[in-house]
Amino acid sequence: MKILVGIKRVVDYNVKVRVKADQSGVDLTNVKMSMNPFCEIAVEEAVRLKEKGIATEIVAVSIGPKTAQEQLRTAMALGADRGILVETDEPLGSLAVAKILAKVAAEEQPQILMMGKQSIDTDNNQTTQMLAALTGYAQGTFASELTVAGDKATVKREIDGGLQTVELKLPAVISADLRLNEPRYAKLPDIMKAKKKPLDTKTPADYGVDTASKVKTLKVEPPAERAAGIKVGSVEELVNKLKNEAKVV
Amino acid sequence: MDFNLTEEQQMLQDMLSRLVRDHYSFEKRMSHYASQEGYSTAFWQQLAEQGLTGVPIDEAYGGFGGGGVENMLLMKELGRGLCLEPVLASQIFAAGLLQQLGNKEQKEKILPLVASGELKLAAALTETNSHYSLQHVACRARQQGDTWFLSGQKSVVVGGASADLLLVSARTAGEQGDPEGISLFLVEPWAKGVTRNAYPCIDGPRACDLLLDEVMVGRGGVLGKPGQVFTTLQYQQERAAAAACAEALGSMEEAFTLTLDYLKTRQQFGQPIGKFQALQHRMADMRGELELATSMTLLAASLADHPPSDERSRKLAASRFIITRAARFIAEQAIQLHGGIGMTWEYALAHHAKRLVMLSHHLGDEDTHLQRFADLLKAS
Repeated sequence: MKILVGIKRVVDYNVKVRVKADQSGVDLTNVKMSMNPFCEIAVEEAVRLKEKGIATEIVAVSIGPKTAQEQLRTAMALGADRGILVETDEPLGSLAVAKILAKVAAEEQPQILMMGKQSIDTDNNQTTQMLAALTGYAQGTFASELTVAGDKATVKREIDGGLQTVELKLPAVISADLRLNEPRYAKLPDIMKAKKKPLDTKTPADYGVDTASKVKTLKVEPPAERAAGIKVGSVEELVNKLKNEAKVV
Repeated sequence: MDFNLTEEQQMLQDMLSRLVRDHYSFEKRMSHYASQEGYSTAFWQQLAEQGLTGVPIDEAYGGFGGGGVENMLLMKELGRGLCLEPVLASQIFAAGLLQQLGNKEQKEKILPLVASGELKLAAALTETNSHYSLQHVACRARQQGDTWFLSGQKSVVVGGASADLLLVSARTAGEQGDPEGISLFLVEPWAKGVTRNAYPCIDGPRACDLLLDEVMVGRGGVLGKPGQVFTTLQYQQERAAAAACAEALGSMEEAFTLTLDYLKTRQQFGQPIGKFQALQHRMADMRGELELATSMTLLAASLADHPPSDERSRKLAASRFIITRAARFIAEQAIQLHGGIGMTWEYALAHHAKRLVMLSHHLGDEDTHLQRFADLLKAS
């Protein structure tokens, strides 16, 4: 069974991002970039399926600038067998990404398309769902548990207020939630092996996908700064403030 | 000169920084410090599983075959986390001596175990009053047939408390202070005649003093040509000192970040104290020293594995001098800027400050490096 894992290069989750002075976006100059944490969980799940003998090949695919090969190499150090970079310097919207991934899927014919549920930079949470619609595959989003048996996948989904279990007929698109697994650290020998694994470079034009975005970013603003709290002298004072000032009780 | 890391080096750095961040919080570090071993055996095991204990070891012996840059990346991240594991003492310094001086049999027998983290080494080279001089060796080795008998003492053997095998320098000829006549021996710490007095150093790592009383070492325990190892000891000490620069740099960066955060947070006279120009000047001076230290660490890393030469030694002495100066300056300024909290046992900065001051005395202090730089400059 072949698994295709989509990964995205994003600002490292430890970086405190700053908005550009002209409010056109986030300042990425000299900022550390990493693999999107949810994509890392997706890679880990694919590797675990391979270790269980269910998957036979893992193909990591990323769409982004040339430097996104670093994240593909990381995926290969974690256990992916080969990588595909669809190189573009344009910032792509979810639909364009889903269209490209659908074309890659048509070419690669994977049984499972693993993705992160959303990227930590744009937080759209759309690509998986769009990809499922474009390919016509079954979808299991926000997976916190995945079992694959024969041509069926059982996905425990994290939904508002509880868990939902769905059974999907393969091929399927599955997106990883935070609790699906805890990704491993790449081992040094695997880092060295990753260098030798094949990495293909393509462009959106190779897949005949029009990447022009229909969405325009007008303004990016940092979130409002949190105001300082206050100390109250007694429980009575606290209750009074909650009742009369905050009006929450 | 290209300062960019290769893809593999970048991945190594990313993996290391994440590993230390996830598994070596300050609170965990303090519990490792208080443990019987004085470091985390679980973290050591994890370093081994990730292949990190093999970074400085040759590929032929199960290691990664890393050079100065890889050692720099390793030590910098461990320095940032104030890690207590004896990576510098064992994997870089002592294993470096073994790689350079050991014969095929010794290397094949020992190095794979070192690379896999199963065996820890320590180099016992200094003695009371030796004051960073590797030729000041009073410990003696007497030969009887194929066997050597070692007697004397060794002081402050960093990593010696947890080492499974010690590399001990002893005099087989000449007088105390002669560079000629020094030999290196492999000594098992539990061998008859060895007394190991272990203690924690003020900055965290464990060390020990060794008392050797007619300790028997067979022919297989002699490293290199008897009486002719001094230049190798010096070369490997310089190589280890380059890695110590990186450890100090990681700690300096963390001390700087903690201080900057504190200045932005601590309020006085109705504003964060970082708004005061006098304190901004101090931060700017710290940043300047940190930049110099970064450049000199890169220089040291790029030269550490070069063949021995006066120029290499001179530049490494210069690097160490700048780093020891920067380490003390940043530690002292960070404490000044923090005030009393900077000296608090429960706060990481106090331990960074201690580590930085002690690292500026480890493998040579400011004066030693400056003197060596001046001597080599005069000789050139």
